[in-house]
Parts: sequence; C-alpha cells; structure tokens
Amino acid sequence: MDWNSWLPLWIVLSSLLPGLLIFTLAEDRYVLRTSLNMGGVLLKLGLVGWMWQGVKAGQDYYFELPFLPGAPLVLHGDALSMQFVLLSSVLWCVTTLYAIGYLEGSPLRSRFFGYFNLCVSATVGLALSGNLVSFVLFYELLTLATFPLVVHRGTAAALKAGRRYLAYTLTGGTVLLFGAALLHSLIGSPVFMPGGYLQPLLAEHSGVLTLAFVLLIAGLGVKAALLPLHGWLPEAMVAPAPVSALLHAVAVVKAGAFGIVRVVYDVFGVEVMQQLDLGWLLVVLASSTILYGSWRALQQQDLKRRLAYSTVSQVSYVTLGVAMLGPVAAIGGLVHLVHQGVMKITLFFCAGNFAETLGIHKIQELNGVGRRMPLSSTAFTLGAAGMIGLPATAGMLSKWYLATGALEAGYPWVLLVLLGSSAMNAMYFLPLLYRIWFLPAAPWPQERVLSNRFETHWMLLLPPVLTAALVLLMGLLAGTDISPLSWSKLIVEREFSYD
Amino acid sequence: MSLVLVALALPLLAAVLALCWRRQAAWLVWLAALLNLPLLAVALWQVVTSGSQPLLLSSTETGLLNWQLTPLTALLMLLVASIHFLVASYSLSQWRFAGLSLYFWPLAALVQSLFFVLLLSADLLFWYLSMELLGLVAVALVLLAGKKAWQAALRYLLLSLAGSLCFLLGVALLYTQYGSFALSELTLGIAESSGDPRLALWLMTLGLMLKAALWPLHWWLPAAHLVAPAAVSALHAGLIIKAPLFLLWMLWSQLATPAIAEVGSVWFLLTGSLALLAGGWSALRAPLPKLMIAHSTVAQLGYGLLALGLMLSLAEPALEQAFWLFIMAHALAKAAAFLAIGEMQLRLGGKRLTTFRGASQTMPLAMFALAVAGGSLIGLPPSGGFLAKWQLLVPLWQQSQYWPVLLVILLGTLLSAGYVFRLVVLAFYRARPRPAGFKAPVLPQWLALMPALLVWGLALFSLPLLHWLGG
Repeated sequence: MDWNSWLPLWIVLSSLLPGLLIFTLAEDRYVLRTSLNMGGVLLKLGLVGWMWQGVKAGQDYYFELPFLPGAPLVLHGDALSMQFVLLSSVLWCVTTLYAIGYLEGSPLRSRFFGYFNLCVSATVGLALSGNLVSFVLFYELLTLATFPLVVHRGTAAALKAGRRYLAYTLTGGTVLLFGAALLHSLIGSPVFMPGGYLQPLLAEHSGVLTLAFVLLIAGLGVKAALLPLHGWLPEAMVAPAPVSALLHAVAVVKAGAFGIVRVVYDVFGVEVMQQLDLGWLLVVLASSTILYGSWRALQQQDLKRRLAYSTVSQVSYVTLGVAMLGPVAAIGGLVHLVHQGVMKITLFFCAGNFAETLGIHKIQELNGVGRRMPLSSTAFTLGAAGMIGLPATAGMLSKWYLATGALEAGYPWVLLVLLGSSAMNAMYFLPLLYRIWFLPAAPWPQERVLSNRFETHWMLLLPPVLTAALVLLMGLLAGTDISPLSWSKLIVEREFSYD
Repeated sequence: MSLVLVALALPLLAAVLALCWRRQAAWLVWLAALLNLPLLAVALWQVVTSGSQPLLLSSTETGLLNWQLTPLTALLMLLVASIHFLVASYSLSQWRFAGLSLYFWPLAALVQSLFFVLLLSADLLFWYLSMELLGLVAVALVLLAGKKAWQAALRYLLLSLAGSLCFLLGVALLYTQYGSFALSELTLGIAESSGDPRLALWLMTLGLMLKAALWPLHWWLPAAHLVAPAAVSALHAGLIIKAPLFLLWMLWSQLATPAIAEVGSVWFLLTGSLALLAGGWSALRAPLPKLMIAHSTVAQLGYGLLALGLMLSLAEPALEQAFWLFIMAHALAKAAAFLAIGEMQLRLGGKRLTTFRGASQTMPLAMFALAVAGGSLIGLPPSGGFLAKWQLLVPLWQQSQYWPVLLVILLGTLLSAGYVFRLVVLAFYRARPRPAGFKAPVLPQWLALMPALLVWGLALFSLPLLHWLGG
C-alpha cells in the first residue's frame, strides 16, 4: 500500500491517538494535554489540506480493512467527504482553542478532552466512510463519544438531557442499522458512487427500497433534527458551550445532514429517487422543519435555546437543497452545510462569552452588551446577519442558490418557505441586535474579570472573531477557487455527471 | 491432537493438587489456566490448517470415547480457557478482599475440564455425565457465598437434578430405540428407521432448557446470581449455562427430522422472542445491578434461541455463525460485566444502583469495562454482539415472512440499550468526594476490562472467525 491509501486512516488517527493518550493524563498536566490537543489539531489540518489538494486534482484516496463478510471498512476521500472533513477540522481547531480557555481550572478536563478528540475522530471517520456499513459504524461511535460531553457537568439537568439524547440517538442508530442491513441483504455494501448503486433492483424491489429509504432517513433524521425527531437538541443546551458548538456546528447535527446527502446521492441516486418518487416527501419534511424551528425560536427567551431552535430550522436547509434533486438546489444545500456551521459556531461562541464573562443567559439581559464586549458583539452581529441572509454574508448565498434551485426543480412553493423562514429569522435576531447595540446597559447578572487587556479571556475571544471573519470572507470571496461555493459546485459537477 | 487431551488433564491435575496443597491452590489453578492458553491456541491452529481430527481413545464398538476435535470445538475450548484464565487472574488479584473461599479454585478448575469433555465428546452418555457433574460443581460454587446462598443453591440443585433426569430419560429412550449413544449413529438410525424420536428429543430439550435458564424456565437464575460472588457469577453466566445451550444446538441440528424441525422452529422462535422481551423488561425494572445483569442473561439467550429456531427452518450458514457468535460475545461480555460490577460493589460499598453514582470518576476503568461490555450486549458496532446481530439480520431481511422477528430484535435491542445505559448514565453524575484514604486498585479493574476489550476485538477479527465457524 502506498502513502495515498493510508492518508484517510491517518486523518482519523490524528485525533484518535491524542485522545486516547489524553485519557491517561493526570488533571494537572496542563501543558502536555494542551500540546497533545493542539498538535493533533495542526497535524490533522495539515493532512486534510494535503488531501484537499489531491482530491481537487482528481487523486483517489482509498483505504480498506476487512470487517463484515462482503462489507469491508472503507475510508474514501472524495469531493463530498472533503466538504465535511474540511469543515469539521477547521471548526474543530477553533473549538479546541475555545474549549481550553473555557474549561480552564474546572475539574475532569482529561476526560473531557479525551472524549472531545474521540468525537472529532468519529466525525471525520463518518465523513470519509466509503460505504454504508462504515458509515453506520462511525455514526454509532459518534453517539457514544458525544454522550459523556453532553453530561459533562454531571448535574441532574445534564443527566436528564443526556438520557434524552441517548434515547433519541440510539433508537435512530438502531433503525439506521436495520436499514443498512436491509440494503446489504439485497445488494451488499458497495462503495458509495455518484448516481447510487440501487438501479438494478428498481424493477423488482421498489417497495423494499422505499422501506429502506424510510428506515435510513428516520435513522439519520434523529441527528439531523428533522421534525418529529428533533426533541433532543434544545434539551442538550445544558452542556458547556464548546460542546454546544460541537453538537450544532462541527459534528452531530451535521453528521445527520451529511448522511442524508450520502443516501440521496450516492446510495439511491437522483434517478432512483425520482422513479420511486421519494424526493417530495423529504422536501415537505424539511420545509415543515424549517418553518417549525423558526417559529419555536421566536418564542424562546433563553439565548441558547433560541439558537438551538434556529439550528433545527437551519440544518434542514441542507436536507431541503438535496431533496429537491436539482443541481442548483444541491449547490445551495451543500454550501449551507459549511455556511451554517461557521455562522452557528460563531453565535454559540459569543453566547458562551456573554454567559462566562457577564453571566448573561436570558435575552433581556443582553441590553447594552455592545459597549462592554464590542468584539464579541460584532462577531455575534455578523453571525446573525448571515443567518438572516443579509447581502455580502455567506447566508445570502445559500438562500440564493436554494431559491433559484427550487424554481428550477419545480417546487415554486418552496420560495414561500424560504421567505417565511427568513422573515422569522429577522424577527428573532434583529431584536437581539437592537438590545445589544442600542439599549442602555443594566447591571450584569454575574460579572467575572477574565482578562485585563481584552473584554474577556483571549482564548474565548479569538475563535468567534476568526469565524465571524470567515462568515464575511465566504460571502465576499465566493467567486474564488478556495471558497466553499466553488467546492460545492465541484461536488455537484461530479455527482451529476456520472453517466 | 493430543494437545487438547493435555489441556483437558491439566486443570484436573491442578484441581487434585489444589485439594492436597490448599495454601497454593490459587497459584496452581491459575498456572494451569495460563498453560492451557498456548496449548489450545496451537490446537486451534492445527485443526484449522489440517481439518477436523478424530481423537480415538479406544477402539470399542459402542462408539464411546470416539471424541472429535473440529474447528468449532477448538475455538470454543479456547474461549472457555480464555474466560477461565481472566476470571482466575481477577480472583487471584482479589480473593483476599472478596471473601472467596479456597474451595473456589479446585471447583473452577473442574469447570474447565468438564466443559472440555462435553465439547470433545459426541455421544449422549458423556454429555449426560459431564453436564450432570458440571451442574453439581455449579451448585457448589454458588454455595461458596455461605449461608445466605443456601436457599438459592438448594433450589438450583433441585432444578438442575430435575433437568438432568429429563435429559437422562431422553437418552434412555433413544438408546432403547436405536441401540447407540453416539450422535453420528443416532443420526443415521433416525434417518433410516421408522422409530419416533420425538418424545426423547422434547424430554432432552426440556432438561436442557431448565439447565440453561432459557425462558420460561429461567426463574432460578437471578436468585443464584444475586447471592454468588462476582467471580462465580462471571464463570456461571459466561460458561456454565452455555454448556446446555451447546447441547441443545447439537441435538436439534443433528437429530431433528424435517417434520420435527418445523415444530421445533416455531417453539424456539416463540420462546426466544418472549425471552428477549420479557427478560429485557425485567432487566429494565431490576432494582439491583447484579439482578439486572442476570435478567439480561435471560434476554440475551433469547437471541441464541432465535438463531436456532431460524436455522431449523432456513438452514442458512450465516445463522449458525450468528448462534456461535452470540454465545462467544455473550460469554465475554458477561464475564466483564460481572467482574466490573463485583469490583465496584466491593470498593464503593453497596449493592444498589445508586452505588454507581459518579463511578466514572471514582472507578473509571471498571466503569469503562461495564460500558464496553454493555455495548456488545446492545450490539453496538464494532463489537462481537454487533457481528452476531448483523449475521442474524441479513438473512432475516431476505425472508419477508419473518418480519415479526425483526420487530422483536428491534425491541430487544432498544430494551437492552435502556438497561445498559440506565446504569451508565448514573456513573456520570458528579461524584461525591470520597474519604481521603479511598483508592481503588487498578489491576483488578484492568482484569475486568480485558474480556470487554476481547469482545470488541472479535469484530476486528471477524473474517477468520466466521471462516472457522463454518462460513
């Protein structure tokens, strides 16, 4: 085996091995733990950058290990997996920095960072999975690695959220496993390919294929927080802020959405989806989730809960774009996978900063924060502007492609959904911005001095500033080679030209 | 081939020596268990490379003592020896504190020898004898817990004897009809002659189901596990109740004619489904962790029954693999679970579920062992339990008439996730500060973790494993 085939494995191991080492460290080994964390992060970024370069040039990265009869464990770097790998490793980098600052001095840090690393390894493995069985494996590992992070605080409320998280995700994982076994019993588990591999079964087994689709989407829908299966996400807000970032932007929710993309394009394929007439089902489900999530976000008075319902709504843009089965809509959905991640992580970092520095949890406590914490507030404003879809931000691009794609794919009513959701986005974000910048400050609930030079600890401040800059840059530089938009176009080009 | 006979004799010798030389009993038995590992690994390698081998001990015409070593039996022997070794190592590191009597050691060694006899022989007489003795040894092991165990042990003894009697009646009936104890001759006899083996087969099934604690004849098991010391529970759930299950599979797969197999299939599917659901539900409601794991055993054996029932009607090789994988994965997972729970109860002091509050901080390794073993019980990938479930699911999806079984497996999986995580979640409560002197020794925790790691290793080793199990 040459170096190229080992590269996907190394990308997974670059966070797995530091994670396992961190478990063994004593609490007070701050320097060693931080070096392991950051070393893993930088190594992974380097490896991913290398692979990105190669995939762009048409190189194939393929690693295989025997696992089940007829279904090896495959790690395969293609254009679609790079989208998710890049997103999660870049965001993981800033989240690690943030987490180190956030947890400074708190107990059980070795346990936290151990699972933190495992979580990202599972995410990257899931992104690189080359067949359905490998995907299921990493999907379950992700559940197991995230659970200890959700319950990290060990309070009764955290444990309650953790139980709920497990009840949802383990059920989802089991249903997904059943779906994967059903497809395996029909045709085995070949490597994901553009256009899917179920075409030969269409004539005889259309009913069974529909059943398999329902099982797979139900299993993935739990993590993607599709409508009746979203209940765990707002509850998981009790977790520490870096974990929320992980759940909402880097790993868990994205794993569900990414899985839906894989199933629609690379397992079933556009043609089979059209012939089985399954697309509209997903479009309706995603649309109702978008509207419902925005509606519930409007009613929340807790900042993190409002952001959580906003995630429920925004992640379904990805599903929506993919389910419409047209190339333009697909660009919108795929690019939103990245855009939503960067915007939402910015918002959660800022919410964490407000809570850590000033003790702000409720929306009415935000009054006048802009003058006390100008940088965090600016970052928050940029993230919110992107979510609403204001021009020159990343969010506008996603909505633009989704809207034109909806017209092209023959779903004109989806425009109304997008409009309605954007209006509600504005309704739940603009009052926050008004409070932050224009209302006079009241005494803060619980102020802590974390830094003498900056508005808060620099490790908490740098990550949101960086990601907010990214929100702006992704919008401004959309036309260039390195933007997520161009990469999404590349993916769509490869996914839709398989004949 | 003579290697396995040495492996059989070694623990027997150790048991006798341990009785004469009581002060060194622990070391002797542990050493015998250690020596058996390389012996059996080589035996497995031999039988895999050169095929099944007959072990002719004498050339009598009755076919007694015509023992045979197949890849399957070699693999199971290695499994028995591994679990035995791990449990022995744990007990050795721990027995002064766990209040384990010195008699544990010869009894544990006898379990291994008797199990080997049962696996190697292929005739009903030896099966009856070894199973009967194994039952008596098991009762003696439960009795090691002292006075509080008397009632549970007495009940276990009576039921075990009743089970053996049923089995013996079946053996006698078959002998009078076909004039042989050897399985191969009986198979021929049943295929050719017009005699009716039904009564005999069902009597033996009844006896075996009683001894293996298969639903609905399982009620003695939770009480026995509750009182027994951790190492005994681990040996019992991991190995001893697997012996009758092995026999059940051999009898039905060899002796059942198609007409009988049809009825048997329905019976095993029914009892297996109910075991999975009723056992899972009881485990979910159990107030004590050991009780929970015992009910989980009842539930998990349901998977074995399902595989047996399906095999009788589908004759798919994947189902046979699934059956043996369930047995192996369950044996390892239960050994780890009982050792981890025993260790935590010993150190944290307490038998209730609340003992485990904060255990992920006070005893992280033992808790991790329990969680990892639980993952295999649920069937999370990549564990042995997952592999077994996968081998069961794939053939099932191809037969659409069995959809209720799929539903049962789904529910059973969710129930098992429910009871495993009920315990695991407790461990993540922020721990109350322990007294300053509290320090949990690490070695026993690692030893409890070993079988759990092995069961996850099964999945990484799946292709040769499936090959040896007859793929």
